[in-house]
Amino acid sequence: MSNVMTTLLVWALIAPSSGGHGGGDAWPTHMACSNEGLEVLYQSCDPLQDFGFSIDQCSKQLKSDLNIRFGIILRQDIKELFLDIALVSDGSSILNFSYPICEEDFPKFSFCGRRKGEQIYFAGPINNPGLDIPVGKYHVLLELYDENRSMVACANATVICS
Amino acid sequence: MAPSISCLFLAVLLSAGCEVITSSDQTCFEKEANKTYNCENLDLSEIPGTLPNSTESLDFSFNFLPAIQNTTFSRLINLTFLDLTRCQISWIHENTFQSHHQLSTLVLTGNPLIFMAETALDGPISLKHLFLIQTGMSSLEFIPVHNLKNLETLHLGSNHISSIKLPKDFPTGNLKVLDFQNNAIHYLSREDLNSLKQVTNLSLNFNGNDIKGIEPGAFKSTVFQSLNFGGTVNLSVIFSGLQNSTVQSLWLGTFEDTDAQDLSSAMLKGLCEMSVESLNLQTYRFSDLSSTMFQCFTHLQQLDLTATHLTGLPSGMEGMNSLKKLVLNVNNFDQLCQINAASFPSLTHLYIRGNMKKLHLGTGCLEKLENLQKLDLSHSDIDASDCCNLQLKTLPHLQSLNLSYNEPLGLQSEAFKACPRLELLDLAYTHLRVNAAQSPFQNLHLLQVLNLSHCLLDTSNQHLLEGLLDLRHLNLQGNHFQDGNIPKTNLLQKVGSLEILVLSSCDLSSIDQQAFNSLGKMHHVDLSHNSLTSNSIEALSHLKGIHLNLAANGIRVIPSHLLPILSQQSTINLSHNPLDCTCSNIHFLTWYKENMHKLEDSEETLCANPESLRRVKLSDVMLSCGITPVGAFFLVVFLLLLVILLIFVVKFLLRWKYQHI
Repeated sequence: MSNVMTTLLVWALIAPSSGGHGGGDAWPTHMACSNEGLEVLYQSCDPLQDFGFSIDQCSKQLKSDLNIRFGIILRQDIKELFLDIALVSDGSSILNFSYPICEEDFPKFSFCGRRKGEQIYFAGPINNPGLDIPVGKYHVLLELYDENRSMVACANATVICS
Repeated sequence: MAPSISCLFLAVLLSAGCEVITSSDQTCFEKEANKTYNCENLDLSEIPGTLPNSTESLDFSFNFLPAIQNTTFSRLINLTFLDLTRCQISWIHENTFQSHHQLSTLVLTGNPLIFMAETALDGPISLKHLFLIQTGMSSLEFIPVHNLKNLETLHLGSNHISSIKLPKDFPTGNLKVLDFQNNAIHYLSREDLNSLKQVTNLSLNFNGNDIKGIEPGAFKSTVFQSLNFGGTVNLSVIFSGLQNSTVQSLWLGTFEDTDAQDLSSAMLKGLCEMSVESLNLQTYRFSDLSSTMFQCFTHLQQLDLTATHLTGLPSGMEGMNSLKKLVLNVNNFDQLCQINAASFPSLTHLYIRGNMKKLHLGTGCLEKLENLQKLDLSHSDIDASDCCNLQLKTLPHLQSLNLSYNEPLGLQSEAFKACPRLELLDLAYTHLRVNAAQSPFQNLHLLQVLNLSHCLLDTSNQHLLEGLLDLRHLNLQGNHFQDGNIPKTNLLQKVGSLEILVLSSCDLSSIDQQAFNSLGKMHHVDLSHNSLTSNSIEALSHLKGIHLNLAANGIRVIPSHLLPILSQQSTINLSHNPLDCTCSNIHFLTWYKENMHKLEDSEETLCANPESLRRVKLSDVMLSCGITPVGAFFLVVFLLLLVILLIFVVKFLLRWKYQHI
């Protein structure tokens, strides 16, 4: 009898909390690309939503001007949009940098200036430098945010180079 | 069985209780009491009962309202701003906003609209801004035109619109902005634009539409505030189509992800046939950049050539005589002289920010720019061992100079003699090398604002700020002082006219009582993000009515003799300090509650000890530290008297009892 009671109590306490929006669960991990010894996995760290991302030509010798595909619903206007990247390997930070993507006086990409609530799909070059990736496992935190530092997208990525 | 039923009952009760808690978690956020509310992302399918009837501004985006009708918002009759972005609205039924006379902005972005009733937008007396971005619309006939006569801005981006022709009875009387970004408009005919002929000073946005043709004369003799054809693949089409038009601001730039044709001088000839004041050509490449390239720019006042892959501009450029403002950000110059500044004699504003290569300033490259008032050379990797008199030779009217985010600059005494009329000088994040006892800013008698944040200054140089007679605003954020102390004699004594002083993140642990004595005019002092204790407050004793920021310091106890100094200021920020909430700080805690109106960021002003009150807001602390030494004395005397009285009573009672045995 006490088992029943305990179960019921536990259910009663847990059930409503898992019913909220967004769920308590994390978003699924997706594969951005996997080819020629390079694997890029990512997971959205925005509690409100997931997003879609893929890289076209994936290889250990990362080419410059990669083509990517990106789909998301905007939670903010992106007249101003910034990207923060933090690269970690073996628990130590290798690289941190911040890069403006859209600025009021210099909208670099055609999607700059689009509004909160718009669904955007971008397929095109991202103007990155070429790069040889050394063998290893890397964690990358990518954050897109607006001028008020409100989140537009957030990704926890893992890059495995073998 | 009875216990199991009762425990089931208990479980149900508990789960109900939990549900109430979670749903009350999901209440709207109050931004301004009784007026402004944010209910974003709450999965609401109706207006919550908790919102007051007086609500004026409501962000209800990312909720669930498949159909909206006259009962949906009927209670909130004072709404002026309503954001219904991505609420999955399919239907907007008759008279939805009938009782919302004050409504001026309605946002319907990202809703899969199937139908809007003819009277859907009736009600508001003056609906000014309507957002119908990405609502799946393919024709402008979709919009009910009944009540749009006061409309000023109409946003129709990211739809399937292929013609901009407005319906016959569409009211355009007050229209100022018409935004068609990212639609499928490929052709603009005369007929399309005839419906806008009466509208003067309109801003039209065709960004992200690949315009392939414009009927000749379509834009003839119409005056536009701004026209945006961003991302167009072939600009010749635009130029020939805009013949005989008048445009204040023409945005023709392209983007990194757009394959646009290179610009030739033949293409730009089209500008001779139109009147433009301000032109943007960002991210384009010029195919044959010669001195005649811009010969049709004679009436142009502003030209933006951001990221146009320029390594230089040809000498003797024709047609730039009246240019006032030139933007050359994010290009590839080696030498400042490569811009051949002599071609732009009227220039008042010049921006060369974020140059992709190390920019060498050279000697006197800008000396022909006698009218230059504003110069921005930030983020351009500039270094110079002896700046800046040769580099900025004869800029007699320069008022604003930005050299922030560059490589180290060596400054001698009177380093800015070449620009004596400077009012604003920004050197933030540029390492300044100043030899001891030199005064680089000497003679800048008109300078009002000086930003020296993170310049790695030698702050022990008493002469550093000499000669700044009119300086009102000084930012010294992120510079270090010897031993973390500002002594009695310091560099600030030379700038007696200072009104705003920023000394945040300077690793300060103490400030001498008399350190600011010569600064009598200050009204804003930022000392945040240091390790100051309450002792440093004494340095402010001679100041009244200032805005004082002491956030993120090491202040624990503020003794009572310092409270009058705080009392005489107008606004104080004490957030993020390890404040003491024990009786040893009771005077300050009492003062705090009495002066709440002066305190800023009180949500983040928390106790650090005792452990039991850790992270409790100071305003919520109720301490009773009743016993003062005087009180204790009286209490002891009182107890003593009580004991004596008791002894007498006992004695009396015993005697009385024995007497009656």
